[in-house]
Amino acid sequence: MSNRTVVAPASGVETEVVPVRGRVVKSKWTRDLLTFLMVVGPGLIVMVADNDAGAVSTYSQAGAQYGTHLLWVVLLLLPVTYFIQEMVVRLGIATGKGHAAMIYQRFGNWWGLFSLVDLELVNFLTLVTEFAAIDLALNKMGVDPRIGVPLAAAGLVLIVVTGSYRRWERTVVLLCLLDLVWFAVAFGLRPPVGQIVRGALVPSMPAGGLTPDLMFLVIAIVGTTVAPWQLFFQQSSIADKRLRFADVKWARLDTLMGACITITVAGCMMIAGHASRVHGFTFTDPAQMAVDIGSFTSGFFKNAILLLMINAAVLGTTAISLSSAWAYGEVRGWPHSLQLPVRKAPGFYVVYVVSVGAAAGLVLIPRAPLQLIILGVQVLAGVMLPSAIIFLQLLLNDKELLGEYANKPWNNWVNWTIIIVLFALSLILAAQVAAPNLFPTGTA
Amino acid sequence: MATMLNPMKTKKPTNCFVVIHPLDDLPEEKVDTEGLGPMAMTTSVRISLLSLRAYLVLMMLLVFYHVMGMAGLFGHRG
Repeated sequence: MSNRTVVAPASGVETEVVPVRGRVVKSKWTRDLLTFLMVVGPGLIVMVADNDAGAVSTYSQAGAQYGTHLLWVVLLLLPVTYFIQEMVVRLGIATGKGHAAMIYQRFGNWWGLFSLVDLELVNFLTLVTEFAAIDLALNKMGVDPRIGVPLAAAGLVLIVVTGSYRRWERTVVLLCLLDLVWFAVAFGLRPPVGQIVRGALVPSMPAGGLTPDLMFLVIAIVGTTVAPWQLFFQQSSIADKRLRFADVKWARLDTLMGACITITVAGCMMIAGHASRVHGFTFTDPAQMAVDIGSFTSGFFKNAILLLMINAAVLGTTAISLSSAWAYGEVRGWPHSLQLPVRKAPGFYVVYVVSVGAAAGLVLIPRAPLQLIILGVQVLAGVMLPSAIIFLQLLLNDKELLGEYANKPWNNWVNWTIIIVLFALSLILAAQVAAPNLFPTGTA
Repeated sequence: MATMLNPMKTKKPTNCFVVIHPLDDLPEEKVDTEGLGPMAMTTSVRISLLSLRAYLVLMMLLVFYHVMGMAGLFGHRG
């Protein structure tokens, strides 16, 4: 262990005194493992938090309505989500700045403001859906949401105000690991292994063909797997953690590991939905699905799914609120780091607390138009996503900015293909929601 | 970041490595984004971005109109 003191710039703050500390290891293997463990975090968190309350609802609905038929869609999204977030890794490490700051600096104030307003709006609406899910799950567990929701909000505030990025990251990584209980749930429901492997590897169409409902669900799966806030969150997180150029490969591995976990957990959610379908239940929402599954298994499964639903919403809330707070802080030039105590970055923490508090408060208002908000979130996120990725793509082709870390031709081929597909899906989604009668309701 | 120690200086056995957490490490020099200014864009990129801007505004208005309709503001539920 070596110690010395240096002066280092922190996000938005002139100087911050930090001790340089290291661990001495004797083998390359231990060095690599320890380095990876130190770097792991932003990629894992962004991916697992992406399986938020909306995702639990979408994936379990897909399983409940179409069994294992849509598993291949989820598997197809593994490289898509990895390639998009990998670009954010390079951008974050090369610039040491967040995504919002980059858009402002390279595309000007108008585009910066437009992106920020879009992000903050969709993020806030998504937060409302997270708390709506917590409310729903608590109700099914027999806990009064008027107590449970404020408690969840208070917990979410407490984990960020410690003035330590590491403390927040470790807490959230622990919550991410809890998500692995989905494997136990899926395994305990005695899944049809052969059918699952076939559903994941062989693209197939469910009975009934390509209906508008199926199309809508596929788009929702894509929309919930790749979301605009993820770009902002991971880049800001990497900047706040001060990842170095030498960490690029470990940050990529972190992102790949997160992507693999999130996709397999998504598959487990589909398997849970499939199990309720096999027993003749009709899907209404994931909390009711948990109750249905509990009726033919045991209380463990019911409570595990409800708690996993709350965990998903908590993870989604902390990541989304932080993406809002980081983005706002970057644009306003405020100090914006989890390493800073509240008194040194008041604006940053106020944005976080207001986001969490307002969303939790809105859910507790009787007869709040939650269904309209959920609908708005789906469509707005779908509309925003392709444009957010276009900015990312333009930034990653900016050789002046990134030099050797800029996109290679093969990166661009992959990314433009993803963008074109996402644009087509976003147009269909927007058209379908804005004008539901545009598409025939019969089978295609 | 892992750095190989100089055995002469540290008097540690050879093949020792120091692994430093990013938050404990010396700050690294990053790309100077402030000095770069706005990105130079070709006309086609500029036109594409303007089209994107128009698309986003239009879609947001469409969504807003639809949600308002569903909320019953126009006297019917869509």
